[in-house]
Amino acid sequence: MRKMLAAVSRVLSGAAQKPASRVLVGSRNFANDATFEIKKCDLHRLEEGPPVTTVLTREDGLRYYRMMQTVRRMELKADQLYKQKIIRGFCHLCDGQEACCVGMEAGINPTDHLITAYRAHGFTFTRGLSVREILAELTGRRGGCAKGKGGSMHMYAKNFYGGNGIVGAQVVEDGDCMLS
Amino acid sequence: MGFAGIAVGAAMAGLRPICEFMTFNFSMQAIDQVINSAAKTYYMSGGLQNVPIVFRGPNGASAGVAAQHSQCFAAWYGHCPGLKVVSPWNAEDAKGLIKSAIRDNNPVVMLENELMYGVAFEFPQEAQSKDFLIPIGKAKIERQGTHITVVAHSRPVGHCVEAAAVLAKEGIECEVINMRTIRPMDIETIEASVMKTNHLVTVEGGWPQFGVGAEICARIMEGPAFNFLDAPAVRVTGTDVPMPYAKILEDNCVPQVKDIIFAIKKTLNI
Repeated sequence: MRKMLAAVSRVLSGAAQKPASRVLVGSRNFANDATFEIKKCDLHRLEEGPPVTTVLTREDGLRYYRMMQTVRRMELKADQLYKQKIIRGFCHLCDGQEACCVGMEAGINPTDHLITAYRAHGFTFTRGLSVREILAELTGRRGGCAKGKGGSMHMYAKNFYGGNGIVGAQVVEDGDCMLS
Repeated sequence: MGFAGIAVGAAMAGLRPICEFMTFNFSMQAIDQVINSAAKTYYMSGGLQNVPIVFRGPNGASAGVAAQHSQCFAAWYGHCPGLKVVSPWNAEDAKGLIKSAIRDNNPVVMLENELMYGVAFEFPQEAQSKDFLIPIGKAKIERQGTHITVVAHSRPVGHCVEAAAVLAKEGIECEVINMRTIRPMDIETIEASVMKTNHLVTVEGGWPQFGVGAEICARIMEGPAFNFLDAPAVRVTGTDVPMPYAKILEDNCVPQVKDIIFAIKKTLNI
């Protein structure tokens, strides 16, 4: 059994590399961070614009990946529950769009205010609520973030103003948030 | 707001549009067009400008759609002079009222119900004709009775008919009135019924304060039927909270058959 596992792992780690050279090859293939270039903005009455390069470190990358994976699995489960009619009413999922909420969260601080439309599960998670609270809310339980009274579209967290069911309503609310 | 305004403009220019809201909750975004542009125009123009438009769509609670998608707008639209508001219950009502609404030269709001779309009803022969119309402003007595008058509109009419069937086994005969029109309200039919039965219960899915039931009770008080009441009129309404999402809470926030039976027995002092 152990021999079989060792053989399988050797095959999977890439076409029979010798163990001694594998570490060297590994450090040549994987960097610790990645640099991205951002398109320069047109400036109006400003001396400096936002930065034109950014660096993604390994920990950040892994953290974002973990968040996206969690959101993906949570949404897939919500999809399954919705098809079983355990989640009722509306269920707008963001599996496939996790990078939106994770990327947003990467760009802002926890003290910034965020509001969104009805595709809110991913944002609720990135704003700090646990998967347990989100799924409890979707299934209408008391342990949910809105005590089961809000459902899919009405989830709120600190500095996160939901989840809005009426299309377009979040645009005006966002303006009012900014004023205050 | 956008397309509602386009529809109102088209109506003013001479067309007869039908503006459909996905649910009337979304009409709140467009309500300025419905009220200020459509409802008030005929009066404001001194009778010069007609707005022959129909606004239709599902109204009231559906299944599991939570607070922002479950409000009943019968009281809101019924409040405004210049609008006609109709609320069908069964298939016959839906057909006759939409035809009358389109033929009417005034703005008409037709409050349908999403949960009733899939329910099958007996369709009498005369309703199958192409020119079948139900006059706006006339209620229908769905079930004759002698002990108590139960008035409802839209989906709760079905619950009242069920409650009446249950109570008939106990010897209580309920007269069930299907309002069909919220504005202009057919108060004469309700008064005549109350003068016969001496008791009144109103049933609606919307919130109690300033609701359809409140208006019926106020008008009964102001009219001749007040002297015939043997007990205060009772309103059965939706619970005074935004609609919750959890099923068990939602079921208890809309009037059910047992609530109607309870209210009837309370009025009759049984």
